Amino acid sequence: MQQQLAQLVAAATQEASAVATRAELEAFKARVVGPNGSLTQVMKGMATLSKEERPVVGKLINEAKKSVEELLAALLVKVEDAEIAAALGASVDPTLPSPDAPAGSLHPLSRTRERILASFRKLGFVVAEGPEVETEWHCFDALNTPADHPARDMQDTLYMPKAFRSADAPRKADEAILLRTHTSSVQVRTMLSRKPPFRIVAPGRCFRRDAVDATHSANFHQVEGLWIDRNVTLADLRGVLDFFVKETFGADAEIRLRPSFFPFTEPSFEMDLRSPNLGRLSDRWLEIMGCGLVDPKVLELCGLDPNEWSGLAFGLGLERIAMLVHGIDDIRHFYNNDTRFLRQFA
Amino acid sequence: MKVSFQALSRHLDLAGVTAERVAEVLPMLGLEVESVTTFGLAPLPLVVVGEIKSFEKHPKADRLSVCQVDVGDGSIRQIVCGAKNFKAGDRVPVALPGTVMPGGFEIKVSKLRDVDSAGMMCSSEELGLGKGEDGLLILTPRQPALGTPLNSLFGAPDTVLEISVTPNRGDCLGIRGVARDLAAALGLTLKPLTVKTAAGLAAAPSAADAVKFVRSSSEFCPYYTLRTLKNVKVGPSPEWLRRDLEAAGLRPINNVVDITNWVLLELGQPLHAFDAKKVSEGIEARPAREGEEIVLLDGKKVKLEPGVCVIADAQRPLVVAGVMGGADSGVTDSTTDVLLEAAWFRPGEIRRVARRIGVSTDSSHRFARDVDPAGVELASRLATDLLVELAGAQVSGPAVAVGKPPRADVTIELSAGYVAAKLGTPVADADVSAAFARLGFTVKASAAGFSVLVPSFRSDVTRPIDLVEEFIRIHGTDKVPAGRPIAPLPGDEDALTSVFTREVSARLVGAGFTECCHYSLRDAAELERTLGADKAALVAMDNPLTAEQTHLRASLVPGLAGALALNLSVHADPRGLFEVGTVFRPQADGTIREFLSVAFAIVAEPVTRSWKSREAFDALRAKRLLQDAAALAGVASVRLSFAAATGGLWQADHAAALVDRGRAAEGACGVLDLRWTRSLGLKSSVIAGEVCFPRTAFAEARKVPRFEAFSSFPPVTKDVAVIVPVGVAVAEVESRVRQGASKAAGKEFALESVNCFDVFTGPGLPEGHRSLAFEIRWRHAARTLTDEETNQALGVVIATLEKGAGWTVRR
Repeated sequence: MQQQLAQLVAAATQEASAVATRAELEAFKARVVGPNGSLTQVMKGMATLSKEERPVVGKLINEAKKSVEELLAALLVKVEDAEIAAALGASVDPTLPSPDAPAGSLHPLSRTRERILASFRKLGFVVAEGPEVETEWHCFDALNTPADHPARDMQDTLYMPKAFRSADAPRKADEAILLRTHTSSVQVRTMLSRKPPFRIVAPGRCFRRDAVDATHSANFHQVEGLWIDRNVTLADLRGVLDFFVKETFGADAEIRLRPSFFPFTEPSFEMDLRSPNLGRLSDRWLEIMGCGLVDPKVLELCGLDPNEWSGLAFGLGLERIAMLVHGIDDIRHFYNNDTRFLRQFA
Repeated sequence: MKVSFQALSRHLDLAGVTAERVAEVLPMLGLEVESVTTFGLAPLPLVVVGEIKSFEKHPKADRLSVCQVDVGDGSIRQIVCGAKNFKAGDRVPVALPGTVMPGGFEIKVSKLRDVDSAGMMCSSEELGLGKGEDGLLILTPRQPALGTPLNSLFGAPDTVLEISVTPNRGDCLGIRGVARDLAAALGLTLKPLTVKTAAGLAAAPSAADAVKFVRSSSEFCPYYTLRTLKNVKVGPSPEWLRRDLEAAGLRPINNVVDITNWVLLELGQPLHAFDAKKVSEGIEARPAREGEEIVLLDGKKVKLEPGVCVIADAQRPLVVAGVMGGADSGVTDSTTDVLLEAAWFRPGEIRRVARRIGVSTDSSHRFARDVDPAGVELASRLATDLLVELAGAQVSGPAVAVGKPPRADVTIELSAGYVAAKLGTPVADADVSAAFARLGFTVKASAAGFSVLVPSFRSDVTRPIDLVEEFIRIHGTDKVPAGRPIAPLPGDEDALTSVFTREVSARLVGAGFTECCHYSLRDAAELERTLGADKAALVAMDNPLTAEQTHLRASLVPGLAGALALNLSVHADPRGLFEVGTVFRPQADGTIREFLSVAFAIVAEPVTRSWKSREAFDALRAKRLLQDAAALAGVASVRLSFAAATGGLWQADHAAALVDRGRAAEGACGVLDLRWTRSLGLKSSVIAGEVCFPRTAFAEARKVPRFEAFSSFPPVTKDVAVIVPVGVAVAEVESRVRQGASKAAGKEFALESVNCFDVFTGPGLPEGHRSLAFEIRWRHAARTLTDEETNQALGVVIATLEKGAGWTVRR
């Protein structure tokens, strides 16, 4: 019996080497452990054995069965490997370049904008937006800059013809329609549509009738900020701007508020920045943005009681910040869209 | 506004204060210093007075002279010179070898066309003294001693600060105004202004005056004064006066005009001088009449808008009030009697008129910024002093004044604690009143706190908040600390346009697209291509600056196509490009609406070679990107339909227009017009897509998705193929399949999806037809569907499809 079992296992092992496919594996399995398989036949012979023989033979049979099962398991792995190799084809050279295009990139102005907005979000400012084509009232009059105010000379404005009607900025009376010269018009729209207190930051495109050169562009971007609340102070203004500058230019950047003039803030300041990490512009005061406390007249024009509400406002040029942060020397790069420029910010 | 250090020193004792210090202090007062330059003769120890003893023509150069020059050192030196304006015996500046000229050029002993030359004789310009007469600076009239260093003939060089004065600070358009601010900042005292001409004004001309009347009938001229000065000797101004004007960037003309300009610079009050003999009878400030014209000083003939304030005589307008004088009533060399005007005009009107005429003068610039009414008479008196002193004028009597100063000093009540409340930091009352006192304001204690009297020269300070600004200017902004930390306000969210911009940009960057940024202002040709000529005219600007930027953009696609062409031309291998921004589109109601647009463009065939090729980018991939973008904006794909796009930017038969049933989105995608893109230099076809949303589409807050329970039983899938004529759109057939499949499901079970999985044309199909195959999936919420049910349902679908004219279901 022992010999018979040993022969059976040896024969199966030999036969197994020829098995290559799943069908052959199934056929082989049937020949050995199927209902009429060779091992099954031996096991059936157990019934004829005596009480004394059974444990001995049983042990031998179990050993043979175990060997066959191991053989089958190994064969299954072999067959599956062959199947997988057939399904997948030749092996991959992992050093080959991927034929697919890599991810694209955000424009440096978008990157800068998002970075700035993220800083102000930390201070509880939320993003507001407004139309690019504006009424003269929203862009100037409501900002305490009536017609023939000399402050209008500070910006040369692009106008739309009299017949132009904007769906987004309908006229209040017969005022001119223009391309907004600053995002400060969003201040007006926000004060008219929301109840204070609020803090908004308004990124957007602005337009001036300027000839294009290394520092001027017919359109450019600003980020405007407005905080309306009770008892907003100059100290708050310094706190907000100081935070922003340290977020954007690092902890060793410092600011100063230099008195200036804007019709819609009183007092008004230019905020200058000085940082040791700005390349050839390091350690010099650089003009970054205009700011101030909201002029009471503006609050009044926008329907807020200046005895109850106060505010601070600021506006910065996105191009200016992006140029400083990335060391870009010509504003026209932003609008030329040469990918050799754009991909540097991927 | 150019202010020289010497000019400031007339008003302030600046001993111990350097020009550099002044340039540091002024910006922190709000007076930005744009440049600091040296004016006058820089220290040039080796430039001395020499005399040209004799000269002869250069043997080899017609334009050069060989001069024998004595510089008083006991020898005669030979110098070659190109100037022509001298004669033998003239004394001129001689730069000896070793001199470094203001331009950086070093003088050496040299040969000029083979003739020895030991130095250089100098022109005014070469010495940095400004453009004088052509040729050498002739010193003969000054009779200087030979060898005298030139510096001892000229004063010390001056420093000129170019200050940018903000529109609210009209008072700083005069040197005294700048000096006043500087005095306040440095704690100095302004020197008193001494004027000899007596104060006092007459209500009407006397017999001694050169006019019979002075009147104002214009609302824009509430206050006008005119003084007669007789026997004026018009001639060149003295050197100090010329120097002062030149330092301020003005050109000396004659003593009378120079004096009016000098006073304008000094006090910021414009003056005008008439030749009395050219004035008929009297002077009236009056509204211009219909049809009146004037030839201005600059030779420009201007048609006067009726109502504009002019200064006229009995016959005609002489001056556009406050803006510019006429060509034929001004002071000339033959003038003997002068009428000196000092007046106050309404600022807004002056600005309006100056812009209308298209001029900006020193005068209009100042009047538009509200000159000090109290300074009108003072300026007239100061100019009179100088006319008497420098032009021998005789004063006939007091100036004649009509009207009265339109505004006076202002008292502002400032409550105690107001300044500190605005600053957000405590300040001492004493500091507040001290700052105001330094600015020339008079401070008194009052019941509320302070009563501050602000002189009329500060038209910009009228309210308590204006005083806060004045205080902080003098007190220093660095003394305000950073404020309290602040917490966010709950419930506030970013505008959804902004959220969408961020999300859609991230999506496209992930899809391999590079973001671009193009100008919003485009040329006419682009808009005509995008919108057609009629609609393009609706987005044209009124006053464009250049011919390339005349219209508002209606699409981002042309910019992107241009950028692809640019990048290919410079071998920058562009892949896909995208942009997010505002476009402007005419609407059916005649308005122009702003849309937030998302667009992309990509060259269909890869621009770089690869060891393994990928499928080309096609119109339907563009469609998928658009659908995804729309979904981010809250416009579900089921709302969108696509139909063949016609004309404009898009290639016929290869592009689709996108329509949203909810009218919150519009757009197009597909192949760009090939003739157009080829004309841009793009060989391969370009696939693009654009979807735009009116801003109102983002008005509502985003919906929070609600969970819907789904079936745990398996679905049943059935296929159906239908042969339809080629012109029938897949969407039409699909919609019919959907209709039948939903009807079949009824209320018992549900249609889950319909998916077009095969489109076939070719053998076995009738000519001009194609076969479309759809997979339909149904599911029951509470049990497994039976074969019978689904076969029946398929039967309903087939029946529905076969109602289509010429449609055959394949069996």
